[in-house]
This record gives sequence, C-alpha cells and structure tokens, in this order.
Amino acid sequence: MHRKHQIAALCFLAFSAYLMWESLKKMEYYTPLGPGTGFFPFWLGAILGGLGIIWLVQVSRRRAKAEEGPHLPPRDGIVRMVAIVVSLAVVSALLDILGYQLVMFLFMVFVLRVLGRQAIWMTLVLALVCSVGVYHLFGRYLDVQLPVASWTFLNGIGL
Amino acid sequence: MDAIQNLLMGFSIALSPQNVMLAFIGSLLGTLIGVLPGIGPAAGAAMLIPLTFQMGPTGAIIMLTALFYGTQYGGTVTSVLLNVPGEAASAITCLDGYAMARQGRAGAALSLAAIGSFIGGTFATIALVFAAGPLTRWALEFGPVEFFALIVLGISMLTGLAGNSIVKALMMGVFGLALAMIGIDPIRGMPRFTFGQAELLDGIGFVPVIMGLFGLAEILENAEKPFAQMVLAKMSTLIPTKKDIRDSIGPVVRGSVIGTVLGLVPGITNSASSFLAYVAEKKSSKHPELFGTGMVAGVVGPETANNAHANGALIPLFTLGIPASPTIAVIMGAFMMHGLIPGPLLFKEHPDVAWGVIASFYLGNVILLILNLPLIGIWVKVLKIPYGILSGIIMAFMVLGAYSVNNSSFDVAVMTLFGVVGYLLRKFDFPLAPVVLTLILGPLMERSLRQSLEISQGSFAIFLSSPIATVLLALAILFLIAPLFQFFRKGKVVIAQGEEPI
Repeated sequence: MHRKHQIAALCFLAFSAYLMWESLKKMEYYTPLGPGTGFFPFWLGAILGGLGIIWLVQVSRRRAKAEEGPHLPPRDGIVRMVAIVVSLAVVSALLDILGYQLVMFLFMVFVLRVLGRQAIWMTLVLALVCSVGVYHLFGRYLDVQLPVASWTFLNGIGL
Repeated sequence: MDAIQNLLMGFSIALSPQNVMLAFIGSLLGTLIGVLPGIGPAAGAAMLIPLTFQMGPTGAIIMLTALFYGTQYGGTVTSVLLNVPGEAASAITCLDGYAMARQGRAGAALSLAAIGSFIGGTFATIALVFAAGPLTRWALEFGPVEFFALIVLGISMLTGLAGNSIVKALMMGVFGLALAMIGIDPIRGMPRFTFGQAELLDGIGFVPVIMGLFGLAEILENAEKPFAQMVLAKMSTLIPTKKDIRDSIGPVVRGSVIGTVLGLVPGITNSASSFLAYVAEKKSSKHPELFGTGMVAGVVGPETANNAHANGALIPLFTLGIPASPTIAVIMGAFMMHGLIPGPLLFKEHPDVAWGVIASFYLGNVILLILNLPLIGIWVKVLKIPYGILSGIIMAFMVLGAYSVNNSSFDVAVMTLFGVVGYLLRKFDFPLAPVVLTLILGPLMERSLRQSLEISQGSFAIFLSSPIATVLLALAILFLIAPLFQFFRKGKVVIAQGEEPI
C-alpha cells in the first residue's frame, strides 16, 4: 500500500515544482523596493518540496503493511461518490443556463430518489422545497438573488 | 473598570431585539449542525456566511459565533443517544454519556452536560472580558515585523493539529498558504496563479473551499457505505438527582479552567480540552475504575471543558487577530468580508462591534441553556431523519451557500473540486484544519513579511531588531523543533492522538 503514499508524495512534489517554476518564470522574485510578487510563493514551493521529500522518504522506508490504508471503497460506494461529484459538476455548469429552480429540482430528485432511495412523494416535496421554495424565500426575504434561466423559453415560464 | 463599562455598552447593543433574534437563530442552527452527522461547525458556519451579507457586521458576527458555540452543545446529543459524536470534541463524552443512556439516564446526562456547558462558556467569556484590555494594549505595539512573527508563531502551533504526522500538518499549512496566493498580489497588484480565469482575480473563495474540504468530503466519505438508519437510545427524565448535581460541581470547576486556558493557545483543539478534562476527572476520582460505566463526572467535565474552550478560543481572535481553529478562521473570514479585521484595532476602531459581540456570548449561552433542555426531544426526532435525505438537503444548502457568496456558479465548481481534494486528503490521513487556518492567514502573513522587508530594504535582520518579534520567533522555532526530540526519543514522529476539529 505504500506505493499509493509514494504517488501522493510525488503529486505534492510536482505541485511544489510548479509553484517554484511559475514564481520565477512568470513573476518578479525581487524588485528594487523589496520582495516581488513571486517571492512568497517561491519559498512556499521550496518548503512544500522539502516537506514532500521528507514524507516520501518516510513512506518509502516504512515497511509496507497489508492493512495500511488508504483502501478503495467498494464498487457501489465508488459509484455513489462519482455520481455525487458529477451531479454537482453538472449543477455548476447548468445553473446559469437552466436557472436555480430547475437545476436544483433535478439535482434533488437525483440525489433523493436515485442515490437516497426515498419514496417518490418525499422526493418531490423536498425537491420542490429546496428548489422553488428556497429560490423565493431567499430572493424575496433574504435578498439573495439566485440565477434565472438564460433560455428565453424557460425564463418566460418563471424559471 | 473599563472592561465593565465596555461590557455594559456591549450589552446595550447585544440586547437589541434584532441581535437577540440573530443570537437565537445562530444558537438554534449551531445546535442543529452539532446534532447532524455529516456536517461540522466549519462547513456550517461557511454555509451561513452568505445569509449575513444583508446584515450589519455586529449582527452577522453575533449569529456566526452563536452558531459556533451552539455546535458544542449539539455534539453532545448524538454522543449520549447514539454513541456517535456529532463533532470531534464530544467523542470522549460517548464513554460515560452512552453508558448513562443505556442505564435509562440519557435525560440527566444531557441536562448536566447542558448546564456544565453553560457555566464553562460563561466562565471563558468572563476571561475574555478581562483579558481583552491588557492583550489588546500589548498587541497595539505591533508593527508588520511583530505581526509577521505572531502569525509564524500561530502557524507553528499547527503542530497541535498534527493528527499523526507533523510533516503532513506542515504540508497542509503550506498548501493553504499556496491557495491564498491565488489572485491579485496584495502589494504590487499583479495577478498570480489565476489560469486566465477572471473569477480567480479576487482569490479563491474560502467559503467554497471550506464547504468542499469539510462538508462535501464528509458526505463523499459517508457515501462509501450504503446510507444506514441510526439506532437511538431511549430518552428519560431531564431532571438530574441531587447526587448528580453534587457530583457535577468539581468537574464543572475543573472543566471551566482547563477549557479556558487551553482555548487561549492556537492549535490546541477542543478535543484536547475534553480529553484532558476527562483524564483530570478520572485522576481526581475516588473510583477511577468506574469511568466508562456511566459516571456523571465523565460527561460533565469534558462537556464543560469543550464549551469553555470554544469561548476561550475566541480570545486570541479578538485580541490578536489569530484564529485558533478552522471554525474561528471562518468567523475571521466573515469579519473580513464585512470590512473588519479582528485584532487589537477592532477594539479601538469598532468598540461597538467588539463589545457587542462579546456581550452576545453571555446571551448566547443563556439562550442555549433555555433552548436546549426543552428541545432535546426535537433533536432526537431530527436524528431519526434518514441520512439519505439529510445528505441531499445538506448538499442543496452547500450549493446555495457556495453560489451566493459571489453569485457565481464557478464557486460551486470550486466547492466540488475541493470536496474531491478533501476526500483524497482524508484518505491519506492529512489533517485539514491547517489548510483553513493558513488560507485565511496567508494574505496577512505575506503582506506583513513584505512590508517588513521593504522597511529593512531586504534585510532579514529586522526580525531580530524587535524584542517582541525575536521572542515570538524563538517560541515558534521551539514549537517546530520540539517534535524532533520526540523523534529521537521514540524513533518516529508521532505527535498527537487528538482528532481534528471539523
């Protein structure tokens, strides 16, 4: 299992190398007035790199144990997690196009009915409350404006 | 006497009907968040921030701080009834609290915990009132040199949030600082790490990052297994016996002192306060062998300590501008979003906000005491809601919270991304609390470092020219090298066993 830790340590090393490269290549490290834009991120990259190397050495020297994590979740767990992440990504992509009410209604139906296996009436009630209800509550009483659909047809029917 | 006069002025602000209502809402939501599994106080406070935009700063901070200490009350309910801590600081309460519940004394355990929490929280607030004057006078002497040294000290204390590896804690601290570099450079005004995205020019939003790291990551972790229904212990009368009350007096006193003192030190979690209070009770008991079988002291001591800690931890925020935990970092972020910088200047420039909020702590603790005992039945019903429904509602509110900070769907994507990052970091046992603290402190740290170096024309010797900065930096070095001694003694770096406060 320590192979996974080594890969994670290498990811941190790559991130630190990127920080240092970007700081030196695209920013001023030092100016006549003092430290430049790249000064602080460069040293952050250097420190992160140093810590990443220490961690890499630690995990590489440690004897690998069969029970050591991280363990992959079961297949249906992975499916649920991927479904949550993808559905949230879709929500962020569609919020400005379809509007808050429609997107959140569909999101809640998916999360409650498909992932949560809730009864259809419970799903519909909660989906309506969290989409249409929240939109009007926040818009009217809390002055938090949530997005409306940019499509004329949807906008025309109040979504 | 100044402190008393200022406090009275604070009460005149905190007791306005609007602020009483906000303290009530914050306390209620905080308890709910503490009760609900799958959402911690940091993510809960972050979700509430957008709701505060239309409020004045005093009302907004009153609501968020009430939410913060309300979560400490709520966490106890699940520890006692479910044997599952609602938040990390209540974990130790499970031992004797759940044992009391199995004996049919859940009601008494919850009542005593609520009363202990009230006294502990009030004790720490009194400490804040009297510490505020001297500490802020001292901190007003700080220039950028001393301020930089203070932040370095605060960050070095991340060792206290280390979990099982100091290296990982420091890596997370630096990771948070790196995230804070995104956006416009605070001194020169040049964009950095923005990848051409206009949304990143103002920096990465800490609200979506925190909701992702703490809220969504927790939901993803729970999604690994099918959503299960919880099994609750039965409730009983809320009225404790005379013997219970007698047995609680010592634990309340000890828990108040332990929690308040440890709360002052950034990096020490309220889990550590609860744990130490439990150990103190066990050591001072005539029957230590009975701990774990339903001892009142095993519930009251830790619960008093974690509430005293929650209020005590606000002392470094108010007086020095240093957040001691992720949730307090969120509150600090809320201060900044309302155009205020917590620290000594807050008392000078906005005494109405500072003292109004401090006075509201007394009010909040009274509200929580009055609110919680009759509402325990409702919290029990809330716990019966299936997690499949709760997780859906929590995610809907996270989308709402992330979007409404900047009216940007980009922030929903940021929250989702950091949910995945947080999940992976949890799988590798990285503590997430340091990310939040340094994300908030990063811009202040960079600004004070660069201002110091501009004053000295690039000479680092300026940090040795100030006695305060020298002492603070020496302390920071001590905190950082202390684990090395442990390394040589034990042959490996194992620092703390406490849980991370989320």
